[in-house]
Amino acid sequence: MFAKHLKTVVMVATRSLDDKGWVIVGGYGLRLLRVVFLLSLWRVLLPETGEVSGMTRDAVLTYTLIAEVFAGQISVRTGLDNALWHGDIANRFLRPVGIYGQFIAEMFGTGLPNLVMFSLPLFCMAPLLGVDPLPEGGVAGGLFLCSLILGIAIGAAFDFIFASLMVLLEQNVYALMQIRDAISVLLSGAIIPLALMPWGIGNVLVYLPFASLASAPLRIYTGTGDPAFLIGLQAVWAIVLWPVAHRLWNANRERLVSHGG
Amino acid sequence: MNTLTKLIARWRVQAYLDFMWMTRDFRFFFINIVSDIILNLAGVAAVFLLAERFQGIGPWSRDQIVFLLGYAALVRGLLDMGFSYNVLHISRRIGRGQMDHLLVQPQPLWMGLLAEGFMPFSGSWSLIAGMGITAWAIHQLGMALTASWWLIFFCNLVASCAIVLAFSFAWGSLAFWAPVAAEEISSRAVNFMYQLKSFPLDGLSAFMLANMLTVLPVGFVAWYPCRQLLGIAPSHLWHTPLVAMVFSLIAWVAFKKGMQHYEQTGSQRYLGWGHRS
Repeated sequence: MFAKHLKTVVMVATRSLDDKGWVIVGGYGLRLLRVVFLLSLWRVLLPETGEVSGMTRDAVLTYTLIAEVFAGQISVRTGLDNALWHGDIANRFLRPVGIYGQFIAEMFGTGLPNLVMFSLPLFCMAPLLGVDPLPEGGVAGGLFLCSLILGIAIGAAFDFIFASLMVLLEQNVYALMQIRDAISVLLSGAIIPLALMPWGIGNVLVYLPFASLASAPLRIYTGTGDPAFLIGLQAVWAIVLWPVAHRLWNANRERLVSHGG
Repeated sequence: MNTLTKLIARWRVQAYLDFMWMTRDFRFFFINIVSDIILNLAGVAAVFLLAERFQGIGPWSRDQIVFLLGYAALVRGLLDMGFSYNVLHISRRIGRGQMDHLLVQPQPLWMGLLAEGFMPFSGSWSLIAGMGITAWAIHQLGMALTASWWLIFFCNLVASCAIVLAFSFAWGSLAFWAPVAAEEISSRAVNFMYQLKSFPLDGLSAFMLANMLTVLPVGFVAWYPCRQLLGIAPSHLWHTPLVAMVFSLIAWVAFKKGMQHYEQTGSQRYLGWGHRS
């Protein structure tokens, strides 16, 4: 049943390595530098001992590093926006794989080279950056994976919701995706742990679905959040968002004739 | 007609075309404005939130950080306004074989590059956001600003823009030799500058800092000139313009070499409709 999906994963994973040596090396270099910059920033801001808003400096450093290691998973993209942008969405409907399965398989395929070529080496070199990359404990590590999978499911639902809105509004795909990226990265806690945001806004953001993408799994990993509450909230958002995504997508896919390039 | 008049005439044409393009559809116009402003604010929000939460970062007060963020936003705004349509991302034009579009025009190449990317209406929203942030920071800091300070400010701002542009052109020249593999290298180079430009670099190790001020000159996009302008570090206000000149020279040599190669080989990717294969 999943043979077609698996084949898609493999095809996309290998395709993403074609003819893009400069882009891959440049991209990984940029990500490595960004994490080094963020780590140095936290070292300037946080005291070596003690807690700030319930987080020690070591926990924040681990949070930052793991956010970059799993950046592809916590800022998940199915590639639906690109399919709209390039106009090859029409071809997708002709393929012998369902549209959701197809894009989700592509999403995993795109993430695989990143995991092997960047995430794994970054995880291994974490001690060189002065960061302990291990989870709070074995249970935390296991629950993190559950939380990460739920976060991916929510992220994929977001992708279909935003794509439907793009079609509905008949607007520039690039501009809307940029807005979505800018907002979700900030509100998800992927850069700054929500607990360290000013004016207590983190206490509100924690209930939004964006927080389920990054903040929830990372808090579980670092042992700075209640796993039962966080995973429960993620499950609620996944149950709420997927029917919304399905309805919106079904209602708008027929309008796709107005797009393409 | 002298060169400057010709350039202004081209900018005027670009401005007209940009205005017509921008106003052809109000919804399109509105979403462009909103997306540009949100993008710019989001780009600086993370560092601002940290500065607000901790009342500053290292030697920087909160308001000084806002000034740094405003300056960084101005650099991006100026480049967005003056070098759009893949002039800043020059490797796309080179890699896609679109340099021929410039070379067939009856004007010097530099003039085409300087004029074609001008988008004073659709591309100015980042600049306006940057001006707002900078003005607010200056007001909060209560600085006594003299004419000479403003002169140095603008010199440094132009130099910072030149460094980003030169960095993109230097790397982008690789696309003359590797048009497919290096097609997106300028966008990576520019992304590198844009993503890291808002960070105060004070916490970096000496080795990293040296790299960020030489090989990868991201420190000169905002951090270094702002330290000088705000008096956080000993004043060496000519450093950024000097570095801009050095990087511009490197970029010019790399681009010239690339053009010489291009004159002999042309592009294998050029198609009749001017798009890449």
